[in-house]
Amino acid sequence: MNKILLLLGLLSTASNALEITITDEQGKPVAGTAVWLSGKSWQANQSQQQTIYSMGQKDRAFTPHTLIVPSNSQVEFPNFDSILHHVYSFSQAKAFELKLYRDKPLAPVQFSQAGVVELGCNIHDWMLGYILVVNSGVYGISDAQGKVSLTIDSAQLGNTQLNVWHERFENLNMPESQPLTITGVSQQVQYQIKQPLLDKLEFITDETDDYE
Amino acid sequence: MRRMITSKPLGLLVWSLIISQCVAAQDMSAQVKGNMSVSLTNSSNTAAWHQYGWGIARFSDNNQRLNVSRLALSSRVDISSAWSAHVVAQYVPDPNDKIGLTEAYAQYQPLAQGYQFSARVGGFYPRMSLENPALGWSSPYTYHFSGLNAWLGEEVRTFGAEFELKRAARRFRSKHDLSAIGAVFKGNDPAGTLIAWRGFVPHDRQSVFNERIGIAPLKSLSTPQLSRQGQYVEPFTEVDGRFGYYLGAHWSYLKQHALRFYWYDNNGDPSAINYVTKQYAWDTKFWSLAWRTKFNAQSQLIAQAMVGNTAMGPTRGVDNDFYSWFVMLSHTFDDYRLSVRAEQSKVIDKDHWQFDENASFTKGVTVNVQKSLSEQWQLGAELQLIDYEADARLAVGRAKGQDEQVWRLNAQYQF
Repeated sequence: MNKILLLLGLLSTASNALEITITDEQGKPVAGTAVWLSGKSWQANQSQQQTIYSMGQKDRAFTPHTLIVPSNSQVEFPNFDSILHHVYSFSQAKAFELKLYRDKPLAPVQFSQAGVVELGCNIHDWMLGYILVVNSGVYGISDAQGKVSLTIDSAQLGNTQLNVWHERFENLNMPESQPLTITGVSQQVQYQIKQPLLDKLEFITDETDDYE
Repeated sequence: MRRMITSKPLGLLVWSLIISQCVAAQDMSAQVKGNMSVSLTNSSNTAAWHQYGWGIARFSDNNQRLNVSRLALSSRVDISSAWSAHVVAQYVPDPNDKIGLTEAYAQYQPLAQGYQFSARVGGFYPRMSLENPALGWSSPYTYHFSGLNAWLGEEVRTFGAEFELKRAARRFRSKHDLSAIGAVFKGNDPAGTLIAWRGFVPHDRQSVFNERIGIAPLKSLSTPQLSRQGQYVEPFTEVDGRFGYYLGAHWSYLKQHALRFYWYDNNGDPSAINYVTKQYAWDTKFWSLAWRTKFNAQSQLIAQAMVGNTAMGPTRGVDNDFYSWFVMLSHTFDDYRLSVRAEQSKVIDKDHWQFDENASFTKGVTVNVQKSLSEQWQLGAELQLIDYEADARLAVGRAKGQDEQVWRLNAQYQF
């Protein structure tokens, strides 16, 4: 069943998608880039807004590392670790804190305002995650090849704005954007990030870091 | 049994568990975690120090070859966003079914956007060690701790307040974590007694609050100069009424390399004595440097070195320099962890009390392999070779050196 779904997914990607490749200033593909289209025709539909999105914590890391959701949707924070996480955000788009135990899931959190929500854990202070709240229903995160496929239908052709955000931007509250004309439901677009990216911060942690 | 249940430490544990239940009911959060180690070990021919013997291995009683070498319960109660209460209780079978608290403290750690200020108040371990990060200050690498950390576990504890200011790497989009730590404490005056009258021995018996730990029947304790000293240490008692302190600094780079540097001074007045408990205040101070490097996600090196001095008596009649270090490599593959540790410790007798010899020298190698069967169960085996010698043994007609080969098979259940 999963294979069939995967195959369907690939088919639909091939036939009905705007495929964007994100590269850095040196032309290398950039993974983990959030991409979304803005404009009236590309807004989230009701079903997208009613979906409950998930930002888990597993092995002392946020999973996914970056989550992109339409504004006015809800996100739950399941803790898959046996240890307590104290998740918080000071971000303007949404400030909150949750003390999360594996066996005591809390109610989802509503994200109404568009913007970048930077997540931390007050116990494991190397943990870092992002929720991008966007005024859009057409969005995605680039894969290891820097590619992101946005499914669009024929009603969504026309002039839009392509927005691009990466956690290694100097100013996290300033996504890059440029006009984009969508001429067909399957179209290839190259996007080169316009600014130098900050160094990667990859913390090497394991279970022996729990109690620090 | 009845005596145990009415004992103060257990009472505190029960109290904390009751509190945690109440708190949970009031929609605050609490968590109790624990681990139990069931061990099969060889037993030494010589009774251990904690049984007032000359032995340097924990277990000498044949009836204790199969034992619960430790049961630890760690509870955390979250009172508010910033405040939490922590209690760690343990049971060990040696020398005679001991239950007590190893830590009990309140922690203040408010959410912070920039620099993180935090504090702990109560009784707790200083964080000098990188060998003991697991539940209840146990080691995820070996069953027996290095002699250095075994000594910290039995004679060093903070009863006071510790403050930390941390520049967490992530919050500053930096690769470096930096923090400064300072603490003031009381009640750790006799720390140093075991260094002088036993030396460093790798083992995993942690002292609980208010504990009295035996030492060997040293000939010097029957001399007039030392007649007021009991044949034991009560490491967490206050004798001189003075505050001790320690200062520390932590640095880490992407959590891959870490250093912890400490200066500890219990500020003991060596002339102070409690005639009732027969305990002196020891003037004990030392440097400790701990280092950890992860070569990759599987392999890491952990090392620590300590150098210091401890003295007691109005004229510093007992005055010893000491050092202790270990180097450990640990590697994980599939569900296995293999750890190898080498260590050496020395106590140098500086004083002129010829009747009280304190010099000792310990070398040891420890090899441990563990396999995780599930999130709860873990099996493992450890072999430890210890080469120990102490001048004080000569005074009672014993050979200066004593070698031990200690093996332990262990099943650990974690919950």
